[in-house]
Amino acid sequence: MSAFELDSSRCEGHGVCVDAAPHLLALDDEGELVLLAETFGDADADAAADAALVCPVAALRVVGPGEASS
Amino acid sequence: MTTATEPLDLFSDEVLRDPYPAYAQLREAGDAVWLPEHEVWALPHYRNVFAALHAPDVFSSASGVGITERLNRAQSGSTLTSDPPYHDQVRSLVSRHLTPRALREINAEVEAWADRLVLGLLERDSFEVVRDFAQAFPLSLVPDLLGWPIDEGREILLDWASAGFNAFGPANERTLAGLHHFGDMHEFLHRMSQPGNLRAGSWGAELVEEAQRGEIGAELVPALLGDFLFPSMDTSVSALSSLVDLLGRHPEQYALLRAEPDLVPAAFNEIVRFEAPLRGFTRLALAGHRLGDHVVSEGDRVYLLFASANRDASFWSSDPDRFDITRPDVSKHLGFGHGIHGCVGQALSRLEGHSLLKAMIRHVEHIEVGPATWRLHNTIRGIESMTATFEGSRRA
Repeated sequence: MSAFELDSSRCEGHGVCVDAAPHLLALDDEGELVLLAETFGDADADAAADAALVCPVAALRVVGPGEASS
Repeated sequence: MTTATEPLDLFSDEVLRDPYPAYAQLREAGDAVWLPEHEVWALPHYRNVFAALHAPDVFSSASGVGITERLNRAQSGSTLTSDPPYHDQVRSLVSRHLTPRALREINAEVEAWADRLVLGLLERDSFEVVRDFAQAFPLSLVPDLLGWPIDEGREILLDWASAGFNAFGPANERTLAGLHHFGDMHEFLHRMSQPGNLRAGSWGAELVEEAQRGEIGAELVPALLGDFLFPSMDTSVSALSSLVDLLGRHPEQYALLRAEPDLVPAAFNEIVRFEAPLRGFTRLALAGHRLGDHVVSEGDRVYLLFASANRDASFWSSDPDRFDITRPDVSKHLGFGHGIHGCVGQALSRLEGHSLLKAMIRHVEHIEVGPATWRLHNTIRGIESMTATFEGSRRA
């Protein structure tokens, strides 16, 4: 299982990641990014990687199994 | 060949007018191409521009993001020309007003404004795209939000922004011609940073009050006012001019957009991909770093060509020289830069662009454009002048 790591101080809510992985990420009514699942499996790995890549302000990354957040 | 020296001058009139053949030549030449005249390594490929933008600890902005070292020194201290942690703190003072969420309160106002502009242009036989369409928005919106005094002229802001952006290039005649503006601009921003000069309740007045209360350094205020103002001018004018140009020259794409209004965000992305308003910025390598087949050495300056990355056939899944609003991977474009220095005003730019596109598809059936002349500018890729006609149902 992998997981997203969100740097909420950088996230500006552009929502580009949501378009890349709408089943994993969403913007709430306040325009704040919400991670829809704590972790995700291999089937979602490509969409998750894409979502992290397209973040226009480098606020989102994917961490692999067992990787500590830094 | 992995690295090369390229004799072509990226800042000649010919290349500035039509840079894409030169970018293709650079991409062909190697991962990093030495430009001896400017003593920088040009990075023309998407993968390397992206990698450098996402390694800000190696590729530093703090010593400036332009081509010329002594001009870089004059532009220090802004959000654009800083590294974390200082960068993050300063950027947040600007971004707090520019996030999609913060802009919600002006969405309706901007959309109504766009509607009025388009309806007004429909009444005319023809209009000048840059002056009457593209400049109208940036010149009124950001200065208003910043609290610009009603009796201060605004056209001068365009000249100042243009001079500032030219100075990110080499110290050529275009840069030198604008240097005389710097004193006036500096004096003006300092005057606006004094309490009472910006409209109460505005974004700018808020910064001035925060400085008075000691929450931010008073010396930051002029730079932050500049951060709000100047990047919102030339770049937006370029994107909005290209919007009319590209949809006018591709009537089948415009018809598709009218039939499928959900394509508005993708269409605006494609416009910013196809004609990136900002040709590129530089970074200084603080350590050795491998980019593709090239190893950047500590102390090297690299020139990240956003506009070339956006046309790099080794990255895009379909012909990048084709304008296509249905391009599936368009949101990956680097037209707003990317990473921690990604355009802080991109949500406002999208709000402007989307509002105008939505107004156009509501009211304009057909766009007729005349020949475009392109600006000879070191940093900004944009139309100098072009005539257009909006034809609506009432005229059909």
